[in-house]
Amino acid sequence: MSLLTLDHISVAYDNQLILKDFNLSIEQGQLVSLLGPSGCGKTTTLRLIAGFLVAKDGKFMFGGKDYTRVPVNKRNFGFVFQSYALFPHLSVFENVAFGLRLRKMKEDEVKRRVLRILEVVSLAGFEKRFPRELSGGQRQRVAIARALVIEPDLLLFDEPLSNLDANLRVSMRVEIRRIQQELGITTVYVSHDQEECFSISDRVAIMNQGNIEQLDAPSTIFRYPATEYVARFIGFQNFLHFSERQDTDGEIELTLGSQKFKAIKHQGTSHPDARKGAFRPDDLALTEQENRLTDNVLPGIIKVSTYLGRSYQYAVETEYGEFTVNQEMDTPYLSGQRINLIFPKEKMVLVE
Amino acid sequence: MKKTYLYWLLLPGLLFLAVFMIIPIVLTIGSTLFKEGSFTFAGYLQFFKDPYFLKILLTTLEVSVASTLLSVLLGFPVAYYISQKAPRRKGVLLALAIFPLLTSPVVRSFSWMVILGRKGLINNALIWLGIVDKPLEILYTPVAMMIGMLHLFLPMMIISLVGVLENIDSDLITAAQSLGASRVKAFRKVVFPLAMPGLIIGGILVFVGSLTAYTTPALLGGKQRVISTFLYQNAMTLNDWFSASVIATIMIAITFVVVGLMNKLSNKLNPKG
Repeated sequence: MSLLTLDHISVAYDNQLILKDFNLSIEQGQLVSLLGPSGCGKTTTLRLIAGFLVAKDGKFMFGGKDYTRVPVNKRNFGFVFQSYALFPHLSVFENVAFGLRLRKMKEDEVKRRVLRILEVVSLAGFEKRFPRELSGGQRQRVAIARALVIEPDLLLFDEPLSNLDANLRVSMRVEIRRIQQELGITTVYVSHDQEECFSISDRVAIMNQGNIEQLDAPSTIFRYPATEYVARFIGFQNFLHFSERQDTDGEIELTLGSQKFKAIKHQGTSHPDARKGAFRPDDLALTEQENRLTDNVLPGIIKVSTYLGRSYQYAVETEYGEFTVNQEMDTPYLSGQRINLIFPKEKMVLVE
Repeated sequence: MKKTYLYWLLLPGLLFLAVFMIIPIVLTIGSTLFKEGSFTFAGYLQFFKDPYFLKILLTTLEVSVASTLLSVLLGFPVAYYISQKAPRRKGVLLALAIFPLLTSPVVRSFSWMVILGRKGLINNALIWLGIVDKPLEILYTPVAMMIGMLHLFLPMMIISLVGVLENIDSDLITAAQSLGASRVKAFRKVVFPLAMPGLIIGGILVFVGSLTAYTTPALLGGKQRVISTFLYQNAMTLNDWFSASVIATIMIAITFVVVGLMNKLSNKLNPKG
């Protein structure tokens, strides 16, 4: 059974529905990311789980209990803010001890726990500093320590690394993953940075306009996107819209106008009726040879040729639209040249 | 490179302050220490031995402290409400809040006389409702003075509180709540300490304002004297400039002591504020 379930949740903000009939379930001990552009509802989902927002409809179950109406301060979830939200009038020690003091813990126990968690986030010796005397990365780690020290049942991150510089971001995300796995704490992580989410998550939920387009392991999403939206999000730029699809053993036969295309069946989660063939620019090939007019080939004209350093990028105009192809070559094709565009069947991913 | 010539720009302001403020104050204080040519504290001793003066001093302090405390109690919720509003509405509400400052103290005090008098609005209403049999004595009491001061200086408290409250990141309150604090606890442990600088500045403005106000206590206090009206009486009616200078010096001293205490309090409650 899942630790956390959002069941047909709706959230409205100023009478505008941000989430509608939203479902999500998360297993114990996993780190699940919500990934998507701003306005896709990922932060709303996180704030709903935290209890900062109340659902208009639907149910939020946690550990088998109905948490829909449980107030924020009774949830025992740790929340790490994008702005860190450290208390500026309190020292690092008092910031971290804040939650423990509210739990009426004895002073020596407070001290023991605070010092131990500061060691976990590599901030031992910083107890007496104030937030404004810390660097961005240090503040971030205080925020994480403050959320962890209360031994939360769930850890929530709201774009925690977006205010840090690029190098620090990479080392902090490794740190977050290490701490999360060390403590085995279930975590929901919100970000708009694809690399960040893919590198630290057990599963990633790609969100679009208040819906989850796909929820899978990062490697699965990367190889087998389920929808065109997800495919575009992770770098597929070429799409063939087939009119018919016929599944046979191991292969799928597809129709595009009068032409036949073939695709290989794969392990992905894509819908059995998915009829859009998706390709990355690196997966398409160009050839001048006319000899084998096999399947999966379209004739076209080179429109634009761009030098990328390691390869050339071509925009190829065909009867079915424009395609982007990357190809390594010593002597590039010229614009206006007639060319054959190959769509390798083993590279084709069928999406909705 | 030190731009020493920039210091010359301070000169006109300094000169103005020196001629019209520092020198007169020093002269005033100096004049209280010499009587008939010899150095003496007699002026002060005479005042602090006089029960009439001590009563006036006490009334003044009572009225000032009460209006300061009440301005915190009344001003905090208003300031908090205003600080949560969108900028445009905030401007309108702040303008409304400082409205009392835009009317003349004389007009304002007269309207309070109409409201608080024996046949005023409040007494009429209380009698009509059957709560009291005969009119309450409100006008010409310390309470009337305090109401007048509160009306006059509450905007100061509101403005300085809005200034600090609107700079408190709302995430801090949510953070406190997510760590287990109820709304009340989050307010007490986060909002209140962070509002301390505004509270202190507002407190100083209201207290010093109430301490030195003249028109309001003169009109609403009746025969009740406060220091400022007593000073006026000594200087203008009795033409006793020596006593008036002593009183003025005592007022300055009280102001300094109170500002110092408030700052100490602020440091204690919010060490990094």
